[in-house]
Amino acid sequence: MSSLETSPVIAARDVTKRYGSTTALAGLTAEIGAGITGLLGSNGAGKTTFMSLVLGLRSRDGGELSVLGHDPATAGIEMRARIGFAPEHHDLPAELSASDFVRHLAEMHLLPRNAAVQRANEALWLVGLGEERFRPVATMSTGQRQRAKLAAAIAHDPELVLLDEPTDGLDPIQRTSMLDLIRRIGTEFGLHIVVSSHHLEEVERICDAVVIVEGGEVVRAGSLADVRRGPEGLVVEVDERADELARALAAAGFEATVDDGRVLVDPADGLHDAVRDAIADLGVGLRRLGPRGRTLEDVYLGAGS
Amino acid sequence: MARADMFDPTTAAAGPATMSDSGAQLFDLGYRSYDGERHRPARAIATLATFTARRVLGMGRGARHKVLPSLALVIAFLPALLSVAFAVLTDDLLEEDLISYGEYTFFIGAALALFAALVAPEALCPDRRSGLLGLYLAGPLDRTRYVAGKAAAVYGVMLLIAVGPLLFMLLAFVLSGYGPATSEIPELLLRILASGGSTALLYASLSLAVSSFTTRRAAAAVATILLLYVPMAIARSAIESADAPTELDLVSFPFVASELSVRIFGETSEDSGPISELATAAIAGGLLTASAAALLLCWLRYRRIEAFR
Repeated sequence: MSSLETSPVIAARDVTKRYGSTTALAGLTAEIGAGITGLLGSNGAGKTTFMSLVLGLRSRDGGELSVLGHDPATAGIEMRARIGFAPEHHDLPAELSASDFVRHLAEMHLLPRNAAVQRANEALWLVGLGEERFRPVATMSTGQRQRAKLAAAIAHDPELVLLDEPTDGLDPIQRTSMLDLIRRIGTEFGLHIVVSSHHLEEVERICDAVVIVEGGEVVRAGSLADVRRGPEGLVVEVDERADELARALAAAGFEATVDDGRVLVDPADGLHDAVRDAIADLGVGLRRLGPRGRTLEDVYLGAGS
Repeated sequence: MARADMFDPTTAAAGPATMSDSGAQLFDLGYRSYDGERHRPARAIATLATFTARRVLGMGRGARHKVLPSLALVIAFLPALLSVAFAVLTDDLLEEDLISYGEYTFFIGAALALFAALVAPEALCPDRRSGLLGLYLAGPLDRTRYVAGKAAAVYGVMLLIAVGPLLFMLLAFVLSGYGPATSEIPELLLRILASGGSTALLYASLSLAVSSFTTRRAAAAVATILLLYVPMAIARSAIESADAPTELDLVSFPFVASELSVRIFGETSEDSGPISELATAAIAGGLLTASAAALLLCWLRYRRIEAFR
């Protein structure tokens, strides 16, 4: 087991960053471990600023930051050689073919030329651009450019990959495909990935952990399971008459409330039997019966409020 | 850290494959980590410089990108080619009839200006427009190393045009029997390198400084030409009509380079204007000061450029 699997890939404590009178990061504290982590937040929450600090491209005004065991402010060059980065923007060098673009960036990340050529081809095949690798990136669709950026980010075999809004501009099919690809790279190939996104469902779908940032602060962080863990009990969804079901359960001595058409019941002995009986008595159809929990949307909206 | 294997097209053909009844093969395209050699971070500067120089010269690009560099090279080498041709083909040619090494910089002033207006803008501007600058700085380069790599590329390409023709002329004269004595070649070689090196330094630095202020190549090219000739026109007008000090002619950058070249070869110039009245040390100092100031300006500019979007 490497030290990276036991120590955080990125550790930030009280990191602050200001632009003039605007505070972009206000004491951000978070630990990002191995696997795929979503950096979730609305536009302007501070995600891109945090990424730029992680890359050592901007200097922080305060706090401590460690990336792959190094302080980006002092060990930027050595550290960045071990990082792959795909920016949000889609502008890429106009006349370069995808192959030349990825190969050049692999060389810039210190791979010898022959290795860079081979790795560039490998990465482009991996992201599904093998047949298109000699096309100029300028003539590629947004989806293909996103893939080319991803290939460039992983071609030099980095330890950490930072992806800034990797599904931006993609249609639903392309988005699904890109998310699957990122998930595969993170799980099968052992790369640590930080995905910046403001799409809840994307983070929920591919990430092992999440850091929710709002107003330059971390409002919630942890593994996806931990973050989504809600109060114990049951959630019941029925075809109709949810109010009556809640009242029936309350009459039977259970704490039941209706939230957005769902009946939320606090834990108690005999709860499952009571729910079964109440549904049978009412004669309504059962859509869903499961442990109470929260979606990432619940967490996000709750954190925001 | 356990890493799965990345696909290797070179071994895939020999690796696991399934053969269907029709004879078509499906290769198992895997993924593998890279455990091979990695260069030291300083190598990124050389990689950037080489890549940039090739791009600027149109290498690996379409034909239209080769037109202007080729034109500038033709203009730069033409006087040397004609000089050698006349020397070889004409029996009664006098030494004064040939272009001297010292005068050469003056003769190729147009090519130097064209190249300066072409090279640095092409080297710097597209990176900021395409976002490639941000990708570079997200790798093992910082802003200083980026500017160093770009400056090395621009300087190297300018050397092609500032030193190349002189070296060609020397080689051609030596091979055709018109050249200097063998014992004089090392000293002449040093003078060529000093002359071409200083000329390339000035033109490269000025165009780098100008190009750091815009993302548009055409604007940078025009501004470079203006920087080369407008201060010269103003200074010479002020010297001639308003009795301004002759030192003001140190902003006549093309003449600073050509006059210094003349002095380096121990020749005297007839057409350099007021600058010919200045001491060699002053001209050399002026060239170095202007070059250093321009490079400093470029570096400072890149310290402030927003690379992360």
